[in-house]
Amino acid sequence: MPFNSLDYFLFLPAVYLVFYLVGDRARWGVLLAASFGFYAALKVPYLPAVLALVAVTTYCFGIWLHRAQAPGTKRMLLWGGIAANVLVLVAMKYLPFLSENLRAVTQFFSLELQVPAVRALVAIGVSYYVFQAISYLIDIYFEIEEPEPHFGYFALYLSFFPKLLQGPIERTGDLLPQLKTPYRFDYDNMRYGMLLFAWGLFKKMVLADRLGIYADAVYNDIHAANGMQLLLGTYAYAFQIFMDFSGYTDMALGTARLFNINLTQNFNSPYLATSVADFWRRWHISFSRWILDYIFKPLQMQWRDWRTWGTALALVAAFLVSGIWHGASWGFVIWGGLHGLYMACSVFYKPYQKKLYQKLGIQKSPYLKYWQMLVTFHLVCFAWVFFRVNSLSDALYICRFPFVSADNGLHKVLVHGFHAQKAGVVLVAGVVVAAYGVLARNEQALIIWNRYCALRWLCYNALLLALILLGGESQGHFIYFNF
Amino acid sequence: MELQERLNEVFCQVFDDEDIRIAPEMTADDIDGWDSLSHVNLIVAVETTFGIRFTHKEVLTFKNIGDLLNCIAAKVQ
Repeated sequence: MPFNSLDYFLFLPAVYLVFYLVGDRARWGVLLAASFGFYAALKVPYLPAVLALVAVTTYCFGIWLHRAQAPGTKRMLLWGGIAANVLVLVAMKYLPFLSENLRAVTQFFSLELQVPAVRALVAIGVSYYVFQAISYLIDIYFEIEEPEPHFGYFALYLSFFPKLLQGPIERTGDLLPQLKTPYRFDYDNMRYGMLLFAWGLFKKMVLADRLGIYADAVYNDIHAANGMQLLLGTYAYAFQIFMDFSGYTDMALGTARLFNINLTQNFNSPYLATSVADFWRRWHISFSRWILDYIFKPLQMQWRDWRTWGTALALVAAFLVSGIWHGASWGFVIWGGLHGLYMACSVFYKPYQKKLYQKLGIQKSPYLKYWQMLVTFHLVCFAWVFFRVNSLSDALYICRFPFVSADNGLHKVLVHGFHAQKAGVVLVAGVVVAAYGVLARNEQALIIWNRYCALRWLCYNALLLALILLGGESQGHFIYFNF
Repeated sequence: MELQERLNEVFCQVFDDEDIRIAPEMTADDIDGWDSLSHVNLIVAVETTFGIRFTHKEVLTFKNIGDLLNCIAAKVQ
């Protein structure tokens, strides 16, 4: 049941109504039943069973970890709990990829080993709650958190429906205490939650899906596209994935707000980042924090005697994991590897870069900041090519293609299926989203927003009207569902 | 020399800034250039200066400079 479906528009008010009418002692039960119902609505019978398995296993390992006294037993239990979760993830997502590559290797070496073909399973949401379960166990091991004694609350922490399919990946300390807080109706939370939800719908249905039409037209037939179209197709995809995912996150945060729950904000203007490291502080924040804390930092500590080389290696390893997490394909592995490589290189050149800027006296120049934003955006876009392409041969074709060629006249920029009217809507909607980004941080604008009720209602109605008039071409599914 | 002053020197050296003045309640947000990438350089410099070795658990659970100072004090005693 995606957030932008009619089913969800009926499901959410019904859940809220029951949640509101029952007492605090039963509210966790309502949300847990709703979350499993929400997951079961995907009509994949084994998915709720996998969620229940992860919940029971992680709950038990958490309790055993806390009770264990000997450091050796604790370590064994931690690795046991992590292995159980990783096994679930591998079984659900990576077996077809492993079997396919193993068969290619056996064929290459002419080995007589029979590797069976494995059918791909639907694994929506699994990588998100498995990562959350692993973070729960590690935090107990390091005594950052206590295990949750109430199985119901723990299962709800893993399965809470607004963040079940696509995150944010929540830390125990951030979400569990909120789930236990008694509910009191809060008008501001209700208003803000609904507005955020509608805003997310606008980003997804009006902007992301239109950009997707252009990106798909280019990327699904790249040999027919000219250089300018490939470049614009890549830019369109960069903004499509951002609007798609941040739109989803707004809807998740908006839904949770109705229940007085604040989920982690996943985005902070990522394309204004001035370095790739800065990009990862602004893009899919809950995930990058996870990768940083549970993969990068332990590896960096382990390899700290190798100094800069140790940090660089830890970065490449952490981002390769990040790539593989997104899915079982070489495109994702290369995408992660590229980000790892960008950051590993920066570890070596950063001190010299800083000295160079100081010598030139440009370290505080705004132009330097704009230049860094432009370079970072293009580095990120180059990596997106590998993320989006249908095959690696397509990616290599794009890398070899001269973007500036003789037939790059602007009149040829629009592609089949994407005419000037759609481009106009994208431009206007893009300006609206950018303006919101600026105004939401402006104190004067916020004062005016809070003071004039008529202005607020005008904006709410304009937003609804835009959704009704322009949301019809929505494709429905979200990109990050696949991960 | 007092522990905090010696640690201050390490910070100045690692982050290449003579003006840094550390305090127990300060965190990475308060010091320019102290991010997750440079964090381990700081840890290695502290280990070398004080002749100590931190465990993974200690490094992962430092919340501010105060925690780092307490841990160094416990190890050098």
